[in-house]
Amino acid sequence: MDTPAVLIRNLAKNYGDLHVLNGISLDIKQGEFVSIVGPSGCGKTTLLKIIGGLVEPTSGDVLLDNLPPQVRRREGYLGFVFQNPVLLPWRTLEENVRLPLDILHRNGAIEERIANVLNVLGLTGFAHSRPRELSGGMQQRAALARVLLYEPNLLLMDEPFGAVDEITRGRLNFELLRVWEKFRTTILFVTHALEEAVLLADRVVILSHRPAMVVDVLTVDLPRPRSPQIFTLKRFQELTQWTRERLNVNSLT
Amino acid sequence: MDKREAKRQLFNLAIPVGFFIITCGAWEALVRILNVPVYVLPSPTAIASEIGAHSLSLLQHTGVTLLEAVLGFLLANVLAFTLAVVFAHSRIIEKGIFPFAIALKTTPIVAMAPILVIWFGTGLSSKIVAAAVICFFPILVNATLGLRDVDEQALDLFESLAASKWQVFIMLRLPNSLPYLFSALKISTSLSIVGAIVGEFVGAKNGLGYLILISSYHLETPAMFAAIVAAALGGVAFFGIVNAIERQLLFWRDPVIE
Repeated sequence: MDTPAVLIRNLAKNYGDLHVLNGISLDIKQGEFVSIVGPSGCGKTTLLKIIGGLVEPTSGDVLLDNLPPQVRRREGYLGFVFQNPVLLPWRTLEENVRLPLDILHRNGAIEERIANVLNVLGLTGFAHSRPRELSGGMQQRAALARVLLYEPNLLLMDEPFGAVDEITRGRLNFELLRVWEKFRTTILFVTHALEEAVLLADRVVILSHRPAMVVDVLTVDLPRPRSPQIFTLKRFQELTQWTRERLNVNSLT
Repeated sequence: MDKREAKRQLFNLAIPVGFFIITCGAWEALVRILNVPVYVLPSPTAIASEIGAHSLSLLQHTGVTLLEAVLGFLLANVLAFTLAVVFAHSRIIEKGIFPFAIALKTTPIVAMAPILVIWFGTGLSSKIVAAAVICFFPILVNATLGLRDVDEQALDLFESLAASKWQVFIMLRLPNSLPYLFSALKISTSLSIVGAIVGEFVGAKNGLGYLILISSYHLETPAMFAAIVAAALGGVAFFGIVNAIERQLLFWRDPVIE
């Protein structure tokens, strides 16, 4: 059996007296798409940053395919996508997409791969545009292209579509699904939109108020590939409703 | 560019030029009507003929002053930016040195100039140092701010790829600092000329400061005005050059022109 892509054991994080995470344990399988939902300010971002090795936990362990995040980072094992696209304004779209390869010192013939990634995300023809010339949705697609180009094994996405408008967000969700079905990268997707969480994921992890604990893990037994028809399925609505209830029950206590 | 745009630009140019001509005309008329002595206030035509009569020597003095200013400006750039890089990476060093930088900034350059002449002589060097001292602080402050004020998430992005400090510096901090740096550089162009002229006041054998001082001893007011005009034009040219470099380098910052 495969080792888990992400293995989290008894993870806790305090900032002084502030308890952010409290004993989180979780296994994410290789190629699995997992959404994480929780009340705002519950520590979802901190959790992702610890998994990505950007923040040290107070106690507990994280292993990414058997090795600590600090080691995995250097291999380009993981990729972050943030709420903001975080494109460097002085680089063209193509140069922005290439940034991780520059940092990882992976040079060589990548022109074809860049063209391919830009094509997959509908950015062909904008390779030489500057970020400020692109719409919000296109900027976020560029951020996605940037992370896909170096083919990380694990995507850590922190409300990646939280800042774009509703229509663009819907479209980006299905683009992400299409990309994921193609690349089968393990994805951890933090969101506060419950429909989005259910639509995308194999499992939805529900976190409690701070200090965050895992309240429940919901298995999303909806067929793939998923299309906009899914919103009309009774099962989809049940799962969303159930997630909402679990979240609310916990928020009230 | 369409016709309307060209017309608008011409109009924008015509307004200050028109004001300039009107002001000069009024000045000329007042001087003539009120019979103002030339050593108190020379008329624009008197200044112009002074410039015409001594254009070569005026050009030489201007060249000396601009050379001092530019070299001082460059010296300040190298020193202040280097220190800014150190500051950006170490709060402790910043806290230790920054008060002295402020002390340097608040000390008037006029007060320091005599010492500089004693230390560095009456040649170019004392003026270069005076120009550098006066430019140093704005460059230091803005460069430090620009190197430090990078997007938190961009830092996370670099860190998620285990980027080295050098990579973060070259690919993120340095380009990020350029807009901040250039706004300081543009201020520093005129400051550097102030520094050079003040240095020349204290002890020099040529330069616009020297020319102004000598002319004042002889009540040659038109020559003083000619020197002032030369200093102003030199400052404008220096600013224009730095501004042009900024536009070349920071093209990504300008809004898209449709």
